[in-house]
Amino acid sequence: MSDVNLTTKIKGLTFRNPITVGSGTFGTKQDFLDYVDYERLGAMTTKTITRHPRTGNPMPRICETSAGMLNAIGLQNRGLEEFLKNKIPLFAKIKTPLIVNIAGEAAGDFQHLAEALHKEKDVVKALELNLSCPNVEEGGAGFMRKRERILEAVKVVRDATDLPIFAKLSPELGDVVEIARDVIDVGADGLTLINTLKGMAVDTERRCSRIANITGGLSGPAIKPVAVRYVYEVKQALGVPVIASGGIMTAQDAIEFLIVGADLLAVGTANFINPRATMEILDGISQYCRDHDITHIDELRGSFHHENQISG
Amino acid sequence: MADEVVKILDNRKVNEKYYKLSFCSHEIARGAQPGQFLHIQINPTLDPFWRRPFSFYRVDGDEIEILYEILGHGTAMLAQKQAGEVLKVMGPLGKPFRKAVKPKKRICVAGGVGLPPLLYLAECEDVDFFLIGAKSRSEVMPDSELEHIKGTVMYSTNDGSYGVKGYVTVLLEQILKEERPEDVFIQTCGPMVMMQAVRDLAEARYIKGEASVDETMACGLGVCLGCMVKTHAGWLPSCTEGPVFDFSQLQGSLICQT
Ligand SMILES: Cc1cc2nc3c(=O)[nH]c(=O)nc-3n(C[C@H](O)[C@H](O)[C@H](O)COP(=O)(O)OP(=O)(O)OC[C@H]3O[C@@H](n4cnc5c(N)ncnc54)[C@H](O)[C@@H]3O)c2cc1C
Ligand SMILES: Cc1cc2nc3c(=O)[nH]c(=O)nc-3n(C[C@H](O)[C@H](O)[C@H](O)COP(=O)(O)O)c2cc1C
Ligand code: FES
Repeated sequence: MSDVNLTTKIKGLTFRNPITVGSGTFGTKQDFLDYVDYERLGAMTTKTITRHPRTGNPMPRICETSAGMLNAIGLQNRGLEEFLKNKIPLFAKIKTPLIVNIAGEAAGDFQHLAEALHKEKDVVKALELNLSCPNVEEGGAGFMRKRERILEAVKVVRDATDLPIFAKLSPELGDVVEIARDVIDVGADGLTLINTLKGMAVDTERRCSRIANITGGLSGPAIKPVAVRYVYEVKQALGVPVIASGGIMTAQDAIEFLIVGADLLAVGTANFINPRATMEILDGISQYCRDHDITHIDELRGSFHHENQISG
Repeated sequence: MADEVVKILDNRKVNEKYYKLSFCSHEIARGAQPGQFLHIQINPTLDPFWRRPFSFYRVDGDEIEILYEILGHGTAMLAQKQAGEVLKVMGPLGKPFRKAVKPKKRICVAGGVGLPPLLYLAECEDVDFFLIGAKSRSEVMPDSELEHIKGTVMYSTNDGSYGVKGYVTVLLEQILKEERPEDVFIQTCGPMVMMQAVRDLAEARYIKGEASVDETMACGLGVCLGCMVKTHAGWLPSCTEGPVFDFSQLQGSLICQT
């Protein structure tokens, strides 16, 4: 349909375009299929899968904020076994590369998940490691412990599979560029930047948090400038593949991330407001390329002009 | 199901509490059932950020009506809209109320923003008793909005300015004194506290029924897992597995879900 070539290549994988979805923000039920042609997406990304089923957090779990929302879903999912049994056959029918997002409480969980998913290589094309969910108790692990655990998780997954690995990070973890460098050093192929930012909203009538978990992860337009900054900084410093995530609502947002170098674009919260968001963003990117005489998306990707910088 | 930009035909105040808004959509009206809802994007500028859920209040051919109350930022903006302005509307969503309850008698118990879906149900099906809880007389619906109800309409008001004084459960208790539990079926929609009280009365008497829950919703499509209700089958999204749930599905209190 499009005269513009949007083909995106990362580590031997070829995506028909750079659009994927944010983990936990996209559906595979018929309700969603009414709006989205999965075979037009560049890649599919699953909700976080854990080794064992998780029931999730108490209610209320979500609340609206200015230009965004807080969520503390608590990684509710049916666990690895159910995923392998019911979801893999479903995804096998869709001709779109599948990125499976995984999380664990300990390195052993990551290893177990990676080994199991490695066996599904016909369907699973990459792993995204959720190393940054703000809504799950860490057992009071201190900052250094947290970093050690992250590196340990990446290492065991690297040993378990040769599938491309994306480490999903949040600025909550400290200096993002530094941690990004470390996770790449221990074997990650790329990064997903950023996960939600931990935030809070107060019910002024009851004088309690509007979320049962007290804090939740902030997503949506409110976090986009933060996400753009980190994609820019990490691309400048390391040049490794990056899946951009944070407040991509429109094609204009997506193009900002492309200009600072993002390889894939994860549309997240936007799906809640408009289930057709991915499709509309895709069309908008093509339109922008046509309007700017861009024939291949790589001409746009990373085209940030320092020399054009307005600075009086 | 469809997601369409529609033009507002009419948007006006009904009484001290409610506003009524209408628009046309063939795709959305087709197949709409009482208890199902619409997910409305009030402004394209993302303020309010999320869509807002509203029940079908009336469907006549392609014309759809909602009845709403100003409760906050979004509904206040909705009330400002003029005929000719547009909204983005998705629907019909969710599971409807049970239609066939015969030979049992149908008792509807409504309060606040739970009134619209039950009035629509009463337009499509026979209702024996329609109980409405309101704060005071100023919230009472004009007769023109209630005349289609075939059964007995009864009001309770907190201040006693109209109907029986007290909560709507006072009316329900009165009726249940006269009826055998196995002869009635209760359908309720309103504030969670009210529905829990209705459920308590029903369950103490082994009466069957349904509640249409009111959970904050983001996506409306079963994706965000934000609108969950605790059931015997685990946490379920009320936007796709509800909003109408059988009393027997629900686990624990509706008021505090942990
Ligand atoms: C399935 C379903 C069907 C529905 N059908 C209808 C219908 O037919 N008609 C209808 O009128 N409504 C209906 N509702 C309810 C309707 O969706 C809500 O009233 C609406 O979303 C409110 O939006 P708002 O922006 O006006 O209020 P919001 O701004 O979202 O606020 C909602 C409430 O929370 C309070 N609040 C917000 N922020 C804070 C804070 N920081 N501290 C304390 N309190 C706060 C507000 O004061 C208000 O009372 C339905 C809901 C569901 C789930
Ligand atoms: C309701 C909700 C659930 C989410 N669940 C997950 C999850 O399971 N795993 C994960 O890695 N990220 C999860 N995220 C984070 C998103 O994938 C995304 O990184 C983040 O929301 C920022 O992008 P956005 O602003 O476009 O939403 C979730 C976000 C939301 C809003
Ligand atoms: S509103 Fe998102 S799952 Fe129900």
